[in-house]
Amino acid sequence: MSRASGTASSEKATTSRDVPQLRPRDLLSKDDCLEIFKQVYLARYFDVRLIKEKRRGRLKGTLYSSHNQEAILVGALFGLESNDWISPIHRDMPAFFLKDIKGDWRRPDRFGMSINEVCAQVWGKADSPGRARDNWSHIGSRSKHIIHSTSMLAGTIPVAAGLMYADRLNGGNAVCVTFNGEGSTAQGIFHEAINYAAVHKLSVVTVVENNQWAYGTPMELGCPTSDVADRAKGYGIPGFIADGQDVFDVYDKVMMAVEHARKGNGPSIVECKTFRAYGHGDHDDDRANKYRPQEEIVKGRQRDPIGVCRRTLMALGYLGDDAAELYHAEGKNATEATNEDFPPEVVDFLNEGIEFALQSPLPAAEEAGRWVFKEDN
Amino acid sequence: MSAVANPTQIVKKNYVTAIREALFEEMALNPDMICQGEDIGILGGAFGVTEGLQAEYGASRVIDMPISEACIVGSAVGMALAGKTVMAEMQFIDFISCGFDQIVNMMATYCYRTAGEVNMPVVVRGPAGAYGGGALYHSQMNEAWFCNSPGLKVICPSTPYDAKGLMKAALRDGNPCLFFEIKELYRKREVEELLPEEDYVIQLGKAAVRRSGKDITFVSYGQNVYHCLQAADELAKLGVDAEVIDIRTLVPLDEDTIFTSIAKTSRLIVVNEAPMTCGFAGEIIARVSEKAFEYLDAAPVRITRLDTPVPWVKPLELYVLPSVEKIVAAALKTVKY
Ligand SMILES: Cc1ncc(C[n+]2csc(CCOP(=O)(O)OP(=O)(O)O)c2C)c(N)n1
Ligand SMILES: [Mg+2]
Repeated sequence: MSRASGTASSEKATTSRDVPQLRPRDLLSKDDCLEIFKQVYLARYFDVRLIKEKRRGRLKGTLYSSHNQEAILVGALFGLESNDWISPIHRDMPAFFLKDIKGDWRRPDRFGMSINEVCAQVWGKADSPGRARDNWSHIGSRSKHIIHSTSMLAGTIPVAAGLMYADRLNGGNAVCVTFNGEGSTAQGIFHEAINYAAVHKLSVVTVVENNQWAYGTPMELGCPTSDVADRAKGYGIPGFIADGQDVFDVYDKVMMAVEHARKGNGPSIVECKTFRAYGHGDHDDDRANKYRPQEEIVKGRQRDPIGVCRRTLMALGYLGDDAAELYHAEGKNATEATNEDFPPEVVDFLNEGIEFALQSPLPAAEEAGRWVFKEDN
Repeated sequence: MSAVANPTQIVKKNYVTAIREALFEEMALNPDMICQGEDIGILGGAFGVTEGLQAEYGASRVIDMPISEACIVGSAVGMALAGKTVMAEMQFIDFISCGFDQIVNMMATYCYRTAGEVNMPVVVRGPAGAYGGGALYHSQMNEAWFCNSPGLKVICPSTPYDAKGLMKAALRDGNPCLFFEIKELYRKREVEELLPEEDYVIQLGKAAVRRSGKDITFVSYGQNVYHCLQAADELAKLGVDAEVIDIRTLVPLDEDTIFTSIAKTSRLIVVNEAPMTCGFAGEIIARVSEKAFEYLDAAPVRITRLDTPVPWVKPLELYVLPSVEKIVAAALKTVKY
């Protein structure tokens, strides 16, 4: 059983395309890189804080932690254009506010959800975009270019493909990035949709977060090859492999896939190798410590994406040697980490969202009968 | 078997244990039985229904499947073709939609289109039902889709005793059965009961009278049976004596028990948590209207979910679902009809 996580080398990076001389990351400014670092912290803080809120009994619903997978979300979203589309799923809650967040995080006109909307959704309040009809990650926003998922795994890939077909007809040049776990690649619709997208060269980038486990089932019982990216060959499309712990490697591979699509060459798969830090959901934390060998957990969490990013920035000279001392969240789990371990602007940003959610009302019960069909006004 | 039963001590068992015992016992009795589903082996199932089963019977008979409901059902059909009996788990019954074609077109019709050459001893089971805040895709009762697909038996137990006896009957029936387990009942203390030590089955197509009364008949299944019983208690205080019938299996349906009751009470309310339009409550009322019309003194009533999905947050969820209050109010109106 070899489930080496986070060990994917960049050399193995592309199965169908060569790594360009100048990598997409080489075009990032110092400010961009520092922003990326802060976003990784933001994604981590969101997760840590929600776990704490849930443990304090202030949240309901199942929490699917993205701890240890933040580099995938930040790296995949950072280079997208404002009007590109995304389709996050259960483990990608931070993606809803990370989309198009670059610059002023509170910009009202940006193409991503505000932290207020996301928190209102998590807390099940009327100010959530879906007015708390469905839970947690089952939201989206047509105006913000986020596809609304259901529970049914891989179910949004055909939607993304149809959307990109229509976008092209409408004269657009958008790309849609969908997120899926490695387990979800076993669904028929995963293949059916990518096949269709490949036939029509549709701009769908399928990011596969390969965290080695699908609930209580290890990767080898769901996938016949150790690299999900290998499936791309069957559709004649690029299959990239990224080190999911390294935000810059994810950024490189996703941007290569995005550029491929932008030029009209169609879909790609970007597999990001990572490891699920906790249980499948918070209800599964205790069991996951039993069905997964301890050594595997320790190994899988060895390369915290915060630390990988920090070391890259230090090597680039973007962070001084004392940066290691600045914040202390790196390597800490949700019990160990406190507010002091995060940049203050990150903590403030989420605090505002939570305040907003707490004062937002519950939707009125009678709303339950509405919008089964379109309503005029 | 030892993993679940403790013969030295007689204790009440919950609903999930009853189902688990049925699986353990049938696996022991039938070496040709296979269990398959997502996370049922190493994990023991999302709800622990198959806990310990793989340790007892091995990974070749208790199979952790890739996440493909279509394949979980479709491969069960293939196994049945080779003479196996299969329990196929849907992690939530809501996800059964992803295996729909293999169920209604491949499995359900197999016996019919082969003129009886091939039968399908397959039980597709999974946690179902609302009232737990599971939202749109973890709350469904989609039994009507399958009642409307000839060739499938449809079962929905409300007690541990029934859950075990019906599960065993389904696994021995030789026909494809859909088994709706009420997840809100899995570990509910109030419904725990003593189970017989010896092997038993409950015949498919036999309803149970849960409370006898003379003024009005409530027909229901699943967790709504308890809503009906509570409503009956409320109504008793108001001088209305309600009879509560738990049909237990939808296909086949025990019409006689329903008709016999209505012959006595002349009034009927059917309660189920699935949406109203084309739901099973409508089917029961249609049969009563066709075959027992003359017994009725009042228009029969359906109390069901509104024709909406199940929304997430509590006030919205409760708004769309049947409740004790809704049943009591409808009963008071019906007895005055
Ligand atoms: C069609 C369907 N079947 C089953 C499930 C239940 N389920 C939810 S998440 C999950 C595991 C997903 O694993 P993976 O795709 O690897 O994503 P991860 O949770 O590891 O991020 C399962 C089985 C579902 N949501 N939809
Ligand atoms: Mg996974």
